[in-house]
Amino acid sequence: MKKVLYFLLVFGMAIGTGWAADTVKIPVASPFTGQLASFGEGVKNAALLKAEEVNAAGGINGKKVEILLEDELCDPKEAATVATKLANNKEISIVIGHLCSSATLAALPIYRDAKLPAISPASTNVNICKMSPFYFRNVYKDDFQGTFLARYIDRVKGYKKVAVFYEVNDYSMGLMGAFMKEAVKLGIQILGTEAYTAETTDFKPQLTKFKMMKPDAIFIPGYAPQGTLIISQAASLGMKVGVFGADGLDDAIMLENPDAEGLFVTTPFLPDQAGPAAAGFIKAYTKKYGVEPNWFAANTYDAVGMAVAAIKAVGQDRVKIQQWLLSINTKENAYEGVTGKTYFDENGDCLKDAYIKVVKDGKWVGAEKQMM
Amino acid sequence: MENLLGMSSLFLQQLVNGLTLGGVYALIAVGYTMVYGVIELINFAHGEIYMLGAFLAYTMVTVFGIPFFAAIPLTIMICACFGILLDFIAYRPLRRAPRLAALITAIGMSIFLQNLALLIWGGQIRSYPRAVLPKAFFQNAFVVGDITMTWLQIFILAVTVVFMFILHLIIHRTQVGTAMRAISQDKVTSALMGISVNRVISFTFAIGSAMGAMAGILVGLYYNAIFPYMGYNAGIKAFAAAVLGGIGSVPGAMLGGGVLGIAEVFGAGYLASEYRDGISYAVMILVILFKPSGLIGKPILEKV
Repeated sequence: MKKVLYFLLVFGMAIGTGWAADTVKIPVASPFTGQLASFGEGVKNAALLKAEEVNAAGGINGKKVEILLEDELCDPKEAATVATKLANNKEISIVIGHLCSSATLAALPIYRDAKLPAISPASTNVNICKMSPFYFRNVYKDDFQGTFLARYIDRVKGYKKVAVFYEVNDYSMGLMGAFMKEAVKLGIQILGTEAYTAETTDFKPQLTKFKMMKPDAIFIPGYAPQGTLIISQAASLGMKVGVFGADGLDDAIMLENPDAEGLFVTTPFLPDQAGPAAAGFIKAYTKKYGVEPNWFAANTYDAVGMAVAAIKAVGQDRVKIQQWLLSINTKENAYEGVTGKTYFDENGDCLKDAYIKVVKDGKWVGAEKQMM
Repeated sequence: MENLLGMSSLFLQQLVNGLTLGGVYALIAVGYTMVYGVIELINFAHGEIYMLGAFLAYTMVTVFGIPFFAAIPLTIMICACFGILLDFIAYRPLRRAPRLAALITAIGMSIFLQNLALLIWGGQIRSYPRAVLPKAFFQNAFVVGDITMTWLQIFILAVTVVFMFILHLIIHRTQVGTAMRAISQDKVTSALMGISVNRVISFTFAIGSAMGAMAGILVGLYYNAIFPYMGYNAGIKAFAAAVLGGIGSVPGAMLGGGVLGIAEVFGAGYLASEYRDGISYAVMILVILFKPSGLIGKPILEKV
């Protein structure tokens, strides 16, 4: 009996590796369940769409691309577990992920030690690429995003007094720091800052404090599930102030909240501002999934595209892929995708535009006044 | 002067916020304390009944189109049955087993129900669609200077007070209430006096679960957030409130809920908001250190 079992085991492994040789596995790590599952939805859809298109066009040197979806719930602990699993898998030569900055920062040392390159489509915390030569991202950084927002409210909105309501995590705190630095330079008064944790559902004590300070606007550098609650609870306290946030609030959940009318956020991708290259992607995505792609989808689509291009060029060698990505460092040899030209600096960061979108009549639309 | 006025209205507004939160904690806490009173079990699955209450009412108004005010009594009745079922499945077979065994099944039921909700409703935060709720909920009942109170807050406080009053009547003015008090003093003697102990315990679970379900609906309304893990945090808080007030004592649970709610809101409003839970637990620990039986709990006597 035991022998039969062993035989089955060995046989199974042989089949397993036999199959594996036929595909190029590209793992995509992101929250696919839990509170931020809706962010991960765009990531998943876009990755599968890109893989489908690559495979329809013949795959990578004859091999099919297989997307492995790795759910980490945006939780740093789960992200570290997923990262260890991927780092120890010799078939994996590049990772697309993670989404939340805290998750990326937890996975980063594991990929670095395993010399496994990774491209984050969405983590904007400033420190990420500086900390590892193997980490890349095709999204702007929070120092850019924060500065951009401060300038936008100064020039376009004319807010003079702002209160900041941030979540205790790497993304939110980094973004808040960058925003406040520029705001102070521009003469915008920061009336106060308050914090919350991801488990919070009651924001009224802090909002009550803000209400007494009479700000022109509240800045929420957090994520959408809490952001929408903050907005409704501020409204129920009778606060009539402007509310703005960054890419973390860019989610369809805001459209179900009648109090979110007028909310504006920064985003790396706007369908109506995107170039001609994006038109085909937007059409295919909308046809397949019934919704317009959001920025998570657009950035993931390009990140997977870059991974495919890298493997096509240098094969499945971790260090060679890293070197190839580092060599994409000028506008001339940039990767041209749906989010424009992507090329990396010596850290692995890239320069991308930011756009402002706003909730109008229950829909996300590009703000009339953009700032380039 | 204006500063002083601002500070006092800040204080009053926070007090309103704290009382609302405290009322909800109290509603959940009585469920813990009543069950503990009769069978000396900490029913850790009670927080999940509260979560189920929020989800059931949500499903009724969104999927079945039942009017909101009809969904409330329906939800309460279903959750009361859940409470009885919970006792029947998880605790009754272990009535004579060591107390630790029942505690472990309680934790098991809690995890099971959380995952069941996750399976049915998914992990995303849901909220009652505004269209199905009375418009008045979101209008201000009164505005005095900078202090506002919405009809919803008044509704929550009123429901809390009415439920507490009904509970008081049940415990002190009815036969089954007398039986409950008798069992909490001595289970064996009560059985000898002809009280059907199991039936009274079922009734206790039903009442506690009904209160928990109501609290779940109210919190879902107030914070606009219903999710499978909502029962965990609220359950632990309410348990802390029950202990703070004196576990086994119903007025203690009410007082404990109020104190904890206000401590939490003031901690977040005046001290460091990221440590709000820490602050409220610190208040509980301090009270327990100096008065181990809780604020109005009976002093613990060694039974001989």
